[in-house]
Amino acid sequence: MSEKTSWDWETELKEIPFNEWKTHFNWVQAPQVSQNGESIAAVVNLDEMVFSVCVNGQVWEEEYEKIWSLTSVSDSGFAAFVARDEEWTLSVNGQEWTHWCDFIWQMMKSLDGQFLGAAFQTDSEYGVIVNDTPWEDRYENLTGAVMAADGTSAAVVQVVPMPGADVEAFKKGVFSVACNGVPEDRRFLNIWDISFDTAGRQMGYGVRTDRESYGIVQNDTLWKNRFESVWKPEFLDENSLLAPVRINGKWQLYKNDAPFWQNKYDQLWHLTLSPDGKDVAAIVSAPYGRWRVAVNDTVWHVAWDTMISDIYFSQDGSSLAAVYKHKDVWDLAVNQTPWQMAADMVFVPCLSQDGSVVAVVIQKKGQYQLVVNKKTMASGFSFMADPVISADGSKVLLKGIENGIYKRRIIRV
Amino acid sequence: MKTKENPMTDTPSSVEKPTDPAIESGLERLTPDRIQQVIQDVLKKETGPRFKAYVETCMHCGLCAEACPYFLSNDRDPQFMPAAKVKNTIWEMLKKNGNVSKDFLRRAVRISHLECNVCKRCSMYCPFGIDIAYMMLLVRRICHKLEITPQYIQDTVNSHSVTLNQMWVKDDEWIDTLQWQEEDARDEFEDLEIPLDKMGADIMYSVIAPEPKFQAGLIYQAATMMHAAGINWTMPSTPGWDNSNMAMYTGDNEISGRIARAFFETAAKLRVKRIVMGECGHAFRSVYDMGNRWNSWVMPPFEVVHALAFYHELLTEGRITIKEKYKKKVTLHDPCNVSRGRGLHDKAREVVNMVCEDFVDMVPNREHNYCCGAGGGVINCGPPYKGERMVNNRVKAEQLAATGAEVLIAPCHNCHSGLEDIVHHYDLKMEIKFLGDLIYETMDKKIYTPGA
Ligand code: SF4
Ligand code: SF4
Ligand code: SF4
Repeated sequence: MSEKTSWDWETELKEIPFNEWKTHFNWVQAPQVSQNGESIAAVVNLDEMVFSVCVNGQVWEEEYEKIWSLTSVSDSGFAAFVARDEEWTLSVNGQEWTHWCDFIWQMMKSLDGQFLGAAFQTDSEYGVIVNDTPWEDRYENLTGAVMAADGTSAAVVQVVPMPGADVEAFKKGVFSVACNGVPEDRRFLNIWDISFDTAGRQMGYGVRTDRESYGIVQNDTLWKNRFESVWKPEFLDENSLLAPVRINGKWQLYKNDAPFWQNKYDQLWHLTLSPDGKDVAAIVSAPYGRWRVAVNDTVWHVAWDTMISDIYFSQDGSSLAAVYKHKDVWDLAVNQTPWQMAADMVFVPCLSQDGSVVAVVIQKKGQYQLVVNKKTMASGFSFMADPVISADGSKVLLKGIENGIYKRRIIRV
Repeated sequence: MKTKENPMTDTPSSVEKPTDPAIESGLERLTPDRIQQVIQDVLKKETGPRFKAYVETCMHCGLCAEACPYFLSNDRDPQFMPAAKVKNTIWEMLKKNGNVSKDFLRRAVRISHLECNVCKRCSMYCPFGIDIAYMMLLVRRICHKLEITPQYIQDTVNSHSVTLNQMWVKDDEWIDTLQWQEEDARDEFEDLEIPLDKMGADIMYSVIAPEPKFQAGLIYQAATMMHAAGINWTMPSTPGWDNSNMAMYTGDNEISGRIARAFFETAAKLRVKRIVMGECGHAFRSVYDMGNRWNSWVMPPFEVVHALAFYHELLTEGRITIKEKYKKKVTLHDPCNVSRGRGLHDKAREVVNMVCEDFVDMVPNREHNYCCGAGGGVINCGPPYKGERMVNNRVKAEQLAATGAEVLIAPCHNCHSGLEDIVHHYDLKMEIKFLGDLIYETMDKKIYTPGA
């Protein structure tokens, strides 16, 4: 996130009239905002089956029959899947890739914006394409594609044909993991949730080895233990893989095929590691139906009745934020302290490097608000993208639409 | 009543009983030890006081028999009494401590998957409220673990486990279908959108896999309604869009839980406020009752609104107005999972009356309605069993015929398919429609403006 220092953190307000676009086009789809907040974009309709992307009032040169999955990439750009003459490709800032296919979906981007990937299908064969380079090998089916920070890609692929309703063939295992297109030898009934380590060299994933047995594969090796179920594993470091596993109806955290946390929970998922690798957090249910955050196997003293949807560490690992729902309303809690916002929705929070500032967009009665350290900093917006905090933690970047005008505002904390 | 080859007189013994390769090969693999161990395990580890109470309380009075459509359709053949189904499956397993034969299991698979649709009607007639359906699902759980689940329904569970949808719909096929429906629906509203992955929308609309596979027009209709009603909605482009759950019906609780997790987490990821689901009964049971609980969600983490209740909301709020009411005489099938299971039957009638001019009720109705004999997993056991399913549904056919209605509204996918088979088999000359079909047909195709 070093680029953030190059962003404009000085100009207090920049405005782009957004609703006005509606007068230039037949219709304007939901807006997307660039990461640095300097651009706002939307898919716009120019004529019957003629679409383009409008960025800050300027329309991409090329026109398409269809466009979808418009996404912000790198600091200021946008990418989207685009179709012409019933063929699809990915366009980055209006520049099409050279490879076209019958369909393309699941946009994947590396954090630094260096790598863009997607799943694709051509002539009923499936693969993954990264930075315009498609896999050489293609497969009958493909699910769960993922991409590592260095552009390494992997997916679950079907390596053996299976006639319709052939439960005997399924039982033998027809799926494998392909990394950069190359399949591994071992086949399973199911494969889910591929994780890469930070370097993108090692893989871990969950498998089903027979009707009732679940396991974890770590770098080509299947753990010896079998479980009643497993959830997505995560690498603690290149030699340690963590995975929530179910034993006798309870969930426990394992590391390298042995118990890592001692407590057993009614649920344990969303493993989240602090960026320094020192702390491991997860969403757990304990007791049944009560949702808590567990950090290093110790649960928060606060518990909620409905759901914790996601948790986030600050870069230095000192703060942990949880988005949760309790008694029909959504809220955020930071380091065990609920903000008590009683929101209709809470979006993805942004934590400053040192964890001292937390900013989040919420919805209340159909309007968007920006809340920073429990304090409402702006409200009455019809749309807001997730905020960004400056590297030094002193400013928050608000990106939202108010009275039809897109506003990029810098708010001092 | 006029019938084809007089189907009303078919008896269970007159229909051929197919051999199911999945059951047979599964049985072949089993050893007496394995059978005993699996049954003991399930009974010991997965049953609690509820099961014990049911077993200890039943007085074999037979009052539940009158409730069961299978019993009634089979000329009151005692083997179809709910209590008999329990006696011939789980009680025997319990009594013999799991030491049962392969022939016994072959019969147990059939009883639990094909002769009980887990409709829960019998529970209402039992003085103690004993839940026979729960016990039949327990038998299915044992069959799942023994790997003797019928082939076709097992294939749908395999599909769920790989694609998270019921019909092997590939990721690209799903999105492509939505875009194609969107394009078609622009004939009605030129700016209509099926917004994919729209963060922060009010509603996530979810369907079951047969819609993109065979009935994409239903997505078109729903999109038209959403657009006309001015709803801020979205559909997910990712797995988790299918709310159905056949694993719940085969006792594969682990896959069932995985499906329910993906479903609710898709809604969480999209930051929607509630989920509206299409006209499906069993899916409602999955997300409202079974799938969520396996994951430790006592209640569904998002409000899940069944299409029936959603239509009610759109019509009473005036977001959709009916231009001219539907003229033909209609009747309504109450899907067990949304009526008996969730009490939506009165709302359903209010919607029907808002949309149709001439409504006649079936008898019995509401929570007492006879099940379609399909959706509890029976129809999913596939074509080989269609013949006996028709015999086992005779009472439903008689009930439908007695209404004299031209159109049968079935607001549940499985009911819809099951009832279609019944209508053809018994030559009932009824058209079958979803409630959405009728609303789409009769609604004013103009965009709602608040306060107008
Ligand atoms: S649940 Fe329904 S089908 Fe099963 S025994 Fe009871 S009434 Fe009959
Ligand atoms: S009505 Fe209840 S008590 Fe009587 S036989 Fe049926 S399940 Fe048993
Ligand atoms: S398909 Fe319909 S009537 Fe049949 S079990 Fe489901 S909800 Fe009941």
